[in-house]
Amino acid sequence: MLTAFTAAAIVVSVAVTIYFLLWNVSQLLMSPVAALYVWRHQQLHTPRARAVVGQIAAQPLVSIVVPAFNEELTIVESVRALLALDYEAREIVVVNDGSADGTLAALSRAFQLTQAPLAFDQPITTAPVHGIYRSIAEPELVVVDKENGRSKADASNAGINAASGVLVLIIDADTVLEPDALSRAVVPFLEDPTTVAVGSNVALTNGCRIEQGRITKAALPRSWFARFQVVEYMRSFLLFRLVCAAANAVVLISGAFGLFRRDALIAIGGYDPTAIGEDMDLTVRLQEHFRARRQPIRIAFDPHPLGWTQAPEDLRSLRGQRWRWRRGLLQVLWRHRHMIGSRRYGTVSLGALPYIVLFEGAAPLIEVVGFSIAGAAALLGVLNWRYFIVMVAASALLGTAVTLIALVLSDVATGRYQRGRELALLIVVALIESFGYRQLNSWWGFVGTVRALRGRGGWGVITRRAFES
Amino acid sequence: MTDVSRFATVILWTSVALAAAALAAVVVERAAVALIRMRLRRIERRYQPLIQRALTGDDSAAGALAMSPARHRPAIARLLVTPLITDRRPARIARTRVIADELALVALADRYLRSVWWWRRALALRALGLVQVRERTPAILASLDDPRPQVRAAALDALTDMRDPAALAAIVVRFHDPSLHRGRRAAALTAFGSDSEPFLLELATADHTNRVNYARALGMCGTIRCRPALASWTRDSRPQVRAAAFEALARIGVDETSAALALEALDADEQQVRAMAAYALQGWTGDGNAATHLARHLDDAWPVAIRAARSLRTMGPGGLSELQASASRPDLAGILARQMLWSGAAQC
Repeated sequence: MLTAFTAAAIVVSVAVTIYFLLWNVSQLLMSPVAALYVWRHQQLHTPRARAVVGQIAAQPLVSIVVPAFNEELTIVESVRALLALDYEAREIVVVNDGSADGTLAALSRAFQLTQAPLAFDQPITTAPVHGIYRSIAEPELVVVDKENGRSKADASNAGINAASGVLVLIIDADTVLEPDALSRAVVPFLEDPTTVAVGSNVALTNGCRIEQGRITKAALPRSWFARFQVVEYMRSFLLFRLVCAAANAVVLISGAFGLFRRDALIAIGGYDPTAIGEDMDLTVRLQEHFRARRQPIRIAFDPHPLGWTQAPEDLRSLRGQRWRWRRGLLQVLWRHRHMIGSRRYGTVSLGALPYIVLFEGAAPLIEVVGFSIAGAAALLGVLNWRYFIVMVAASALLGTAVTLIALVLSDVATGRYQRGRELALLIVVALIESFGYRQLNSWWGFVGTVRALRGRGGWGVITRRAFES
Repeated sequence: MTDVSRFATVILWTSVALAAAALAAVVVERAAVALIRMRLRRIERRYQPLIQRALTGDDSAAGALAMSPARHRPAIARLLVTPLITDRRPARIARTRVIADELALVALADRYLRSVWWWRRALALRALGLVQVRERTPAILASLDDPRPQVRAAALDALTDMRDPAALAAIVVRFHDPSLHRGRRAAALTAFGSDSEPFLLELATADHTNRVNYARALGMCGTIRCRPALASWTRDSRPQVRAAAFEALARIGVDETSAALALEALDADEQQVRAMAAYALQGWTGDGNAATHLARHLDDAWPVAIRAARSLRTMGPGGLSELQASASRPDLAGILARQMLWSGAAQC
């Protein structure tokens, strides 16, 4: 009996080690493709190429939709930053999603809002709209005050309904945009008529100096949790997503920054309010809709961060966010399981989705179960302790290697953290992130999976902080 | 067990090696970037004052630039040419061209144009366009057929910046070419403005198939001279052509003939034609009782209704009274009318 358990423990340990080896090596192999993508992007999207936007007779009107739920602390600064964007043809649609705090009052005070009639076609059903407000001081600002729809998706849909632009930019209320974000993001639509959406790298505002809604100094946050997320975002946005973009198989446009053709959003019925990971669900549905109809589709991705967002710094908010992300991921994969492996959807269903299932979907389960079995076997003396330690160390070291490569890519793509001290700190963060933080994430992923299977969970509350000035 | 131990050792050392290699990559990359930036800053400190003086007409500064080592030339070219993306003053362009000639930068661009690397060809094209080296227009036109789309895009950018009348016919002919970026095609045509109009009208006469594209192009750069052609296209059998012709008329402005056609087209079966006909009537205060006709379409399909409402807002007292008459309605047409009245009042 003990012999069988020993054999099983060894098999599980070796299998888990091979799994992590494959996962990390696959990510390392992605790095040349990602580097090539970044280089090509820099060659193509030169300042001269971006100037095309200003040279055409009629710039496409972009409606910036800002769903806001209890965003009293940041909303005014966010809207001010949007009003200062360098792209002329834009309107701002703030959707107050039944906030319980003073979001609407703060907007009203800052921009002298007045109730005004606004007629719009309502192709997407949403929770009832109470009123429309417009600013006399800022004519391009529209505020939609609606009943809480219990999801960002519902608020975004109300914004899409009210939008009059051919392009719709969906951001979070706390997203800070780069001043040239729109003129950069619009270019792929002008270049290629098959472009239906543009996503971008997203960076963290934590620790940055923000003045009048602009990042005036990019710096690393003081909180270690936020620092870990800085390198986590680099790894997430600059490896797999760039490879997906290179293969025209983008399956996730972050909710913090996504520019879409409005007609494409309407065609798929907007965001699904029942989706937990509404941003990934929307992107996959866009791919599904166009590819199923054999219509050409391109979803472009800018490796430069066009939007900056706030990451949770306290353990509770972070845990809640990770549980939600986990449930969102599993829900999207389950809903679109018919696509996985089907030739009909091309690189999306044959490459991106299977990879996500294999490595992102299964990783927390394999990590927690595999390490638990190996740990138990080591405790019982049926597995050599040395092997268990090697297994943990190898998985952490490979993870560190991937993070460091992402750091190189981030430096090339964004040049964000210039000072030597910041680089040294980032290297330290990359080294220690794999020893504790990643395991904690895997545990949250595991618990999130269990909670998803038991049908528990809501949106969770993320404690927002006012921007540091 | 021995095999497992050996496997563990191999895995551990592989992981250590990969992590060490990644760490080395970070350090090497950052060091390389720092060195490149330091070199560029040094070149900038050394040459920027000379460039500024040379641009103001100081020949000794231009002479000093001409004496610079060849290895510094690409960086000097960047300092000299990049500001021209936003600063398109003819005097600055002309002076830059003189300096670029003295620095043999045009010869360098010629060499880059023949390069096997596409990014060098693209760079040379952009620089030649920004500096408006019109002697190179034929070479740039030839680059519109380059096998690399990036180079073709750069060639179109160069022709836009060059604004050489000799290139106009070639640009107009390539207006439908899907191998060229559509935004850049539009930018090139817009750069030439109404100079493109006669070519477009001439080509449209012979090429009926692409009429919808000609109508769109005339919407960008046309003048009242193309009204008769556009008016005749509003009777085309294809609804896309009719809609595009009305859209172009909306941008140019309608006269009595075209306004009458737009009023007639408000009753067309196709929604896109009705919408663009409503759009074409913006600002029209002449004959035909247009405001009353448009007001009837406030409860049409949404794309028609919104354009009718916007046009009514621009039609003076006639449009205003129609909006006021509809404002009391409880439906979407009423909200549209109230929105337009509110916007008009807010603008005042």
